[in-house]
Amino acid sequence: MTPIHRLGDFLREALSLIPLGAVRFLFVLCLVALLVWVVRLPREATTPAGGAKRWDENLKVGATIALLIQILIYSLL
Amino acid sequence: MPMMIAAANALTLPDYVVIALYLIGTVAFGIVIGMRMKTGTDYFLGGRQLPWWAIGMSLVATDIGGTDIIGVGGAAYSHGLAVANFEWIGCVPAMILGAFVFIPFFYRAGVYTIPEFLERRYNAGVRSVIAVCWLLFMACNLGIMLLASAKMMSAVFGWNETVCILVTAILVGGYTMVGGLAAVVYTDMIQCVVMIVGCLLILVLGLVKVGGIGELKSRIDEADARRANVVAMQDGTTDVMSNDQAETSRTSLILPVETDTPFPWTGIFFGLALILSPAYWIGNQAIVQRSLGARSEFEAKASYVWGALLKNIIPLIVAVPGLVAVALLPDLQDGDAAIPSLVGVLLPAGLRGLFVAAFLAALMSSIDSYLNSAATIVSHDLYKRFVNPEVSDRRLLFVGRITTSLLVAWAIGFAFLLTVMNEESGIYAIFQTLMAFFQGPAFAVLLIGILWRRATGTAALVGLICGIATSITLYTLNQPAVYEMLGWQPLFKIKEPFLYFSIWAFVVTALLLFGLSYFTKPNTESQLACVVGGAKSGEGGRP
Repeated sequence: MTPIHRLGDFLREALSLIPLGAVRFLFVLCLVALLVWVVRLPREATTPAGGAKRWDENLKVGATIALLIQILIYSLL
Repeated sequence: MPMMIAAANALTLPDYVVIALYLIGTVAFGIVIGMRMKTGTDYFLGGRQLPWWAIGMSLVATDIGGTDIIGVGGAAYSHGLAVANFEWIGCVPAMILGAFVFIPFFYRAGVYTIPEFLERRYNAGVRSVIAVCWLLFMACNLGIMLLASAKMMSAVFGWNETVCILVTAILVGGYTMVGGLAAVVYTDMIQCVVMIVGCLLILVLGLVKVGGIGELKSRIDEADARRANVVAMQDGTTDVMSNDQAETSRTSLILPVETDTPFPWTGIFFGLALILSPAYWIGNQAIVQRSLGARSEFEAKASYVWGALLKNIIPLIVAVPGLVAVALLPDLQDGDAAIPSLVGVLLPAGLRGLFVAAFLAALMSSIDSYLNSAATIVSHDLYKRFVNPEVSDRRLLFVGRITTSLLVAWAIGFAFLLTVMNEESGIYAIFQTLMAFFQGPAFAVLLIGILWRRATGTAALVGLICGIATSITLYTLNQPAVYEMLGWQPLFKIKEPFLYFSIWAFVVTALLLFGLSYFTKPNTESQLACVVGGAKSGEGGRP
């Protein structure tokens, strides 16, 4: 056993202790955090130079839908 | 691949007509677009006139290779839906982050390549190392993609392997050489549609045949129970299905650390979602290049968001059919035979041709992108940077076309070289793993360079080289011949631990970059212009 093996075994055993339910929560939490960040982005970062003329020209809409689908998927599967 | 799928290889005349129509249409379309090329900017960045919807579809098509169409379904058949992580959490978050943070930054910098950006941020050494790594990766990958797909076509459709390599290379090379990035993006768009329709067909017909989603779920549960039974009998235990196993059926995305698949949650979360995925979507020249050719910064961002939306459906059409195969064909010995067998069972004559077209579309859309991006790196990061800095834009167009032709010739030669090597040596897996070695370190250098003002060029170069060395060392120490000779246990307990290599290589590069930056010469004002937040008041720089 080398120090690398001990480190690997320690990490493996420590991570094995985390229940899969908590892991699922971690996955979903990261996606929710990203979603919150997207929703809070300034308007000029998500619309064309002259401003959005239609609702679908705001990229927040597409990004939010993409992330909501992900949140749903990782909550269920 | 020891498979010969009798049902799938029974292609009929209508199938060949569909395939021929697809091939002729795609190649002609690519060549017509190529007629408009006048300058290097046209050739390498589509004249910066590419629309967001075409780029988004091209991003998705490029990411799915020919072997993925069959391989991902095969992995789903063998290991379950966890393989879909590569398309979901392994793509969507990084694409959204890329859309709003990194892509606009690269776009405003006005660069052609990621290595070019890295020279502005660090120095020529970092640019050269990254350019050479990407070039080697793409050039070798071209040969591997050609060969792996030809082997698959040979096994599944009974076609001659040599002819498959030559025809694919010449057709894709032809329109890529003539039309550059614009031809790549627009043909990818068609290929994306063909790929989605072809795979969707299998999914829909498969679900109808199984009897709906509810029936699919119950048949998969039955298959899982049978598998658990077999494992329990082999282990001599009576506990047929533990809570952990029940929690991780073939439809689970999140698998425990001790899973017998290559997809434990630790690798998926730390290796894939946090490192390899952003490295791919933010630092891969073949991916980023097309967004640099967008009509505006907004369209560059929009292409990534559109791609992220499309990515949500990809596992449904490439991975779920593998689960349908579990329900319909539960006793296959080889997972890679799942999708071809399903094609044979589900699709009538004519529609099988559509699946073959989908397979070819996935293959061609990846090869054309790597060809064009490798040519861009040779032309910009090597020829223009080191051989002829004063080269005209028109001359660069010529250099790009010549380079593309040479890369096609190289890819064919490399594919044939691999065919004469011993297949049992696992040469493909070795190459694929070796080529993934630099992505973690390259991403660390890019990410920290963009976000941290103090990161210096010398520290980045040392960190990059040490990170790559770490990957190679871990890979070597994990080889049975090596660890047995040393009297060690394997370093990693899972099969194909490439996700773990990337984590450690990233960590080593990041630590060295953080540590050494404090002992090396601070950045100049122009270098700081390449950091998010840019140069402070009074400092210059385009980004």
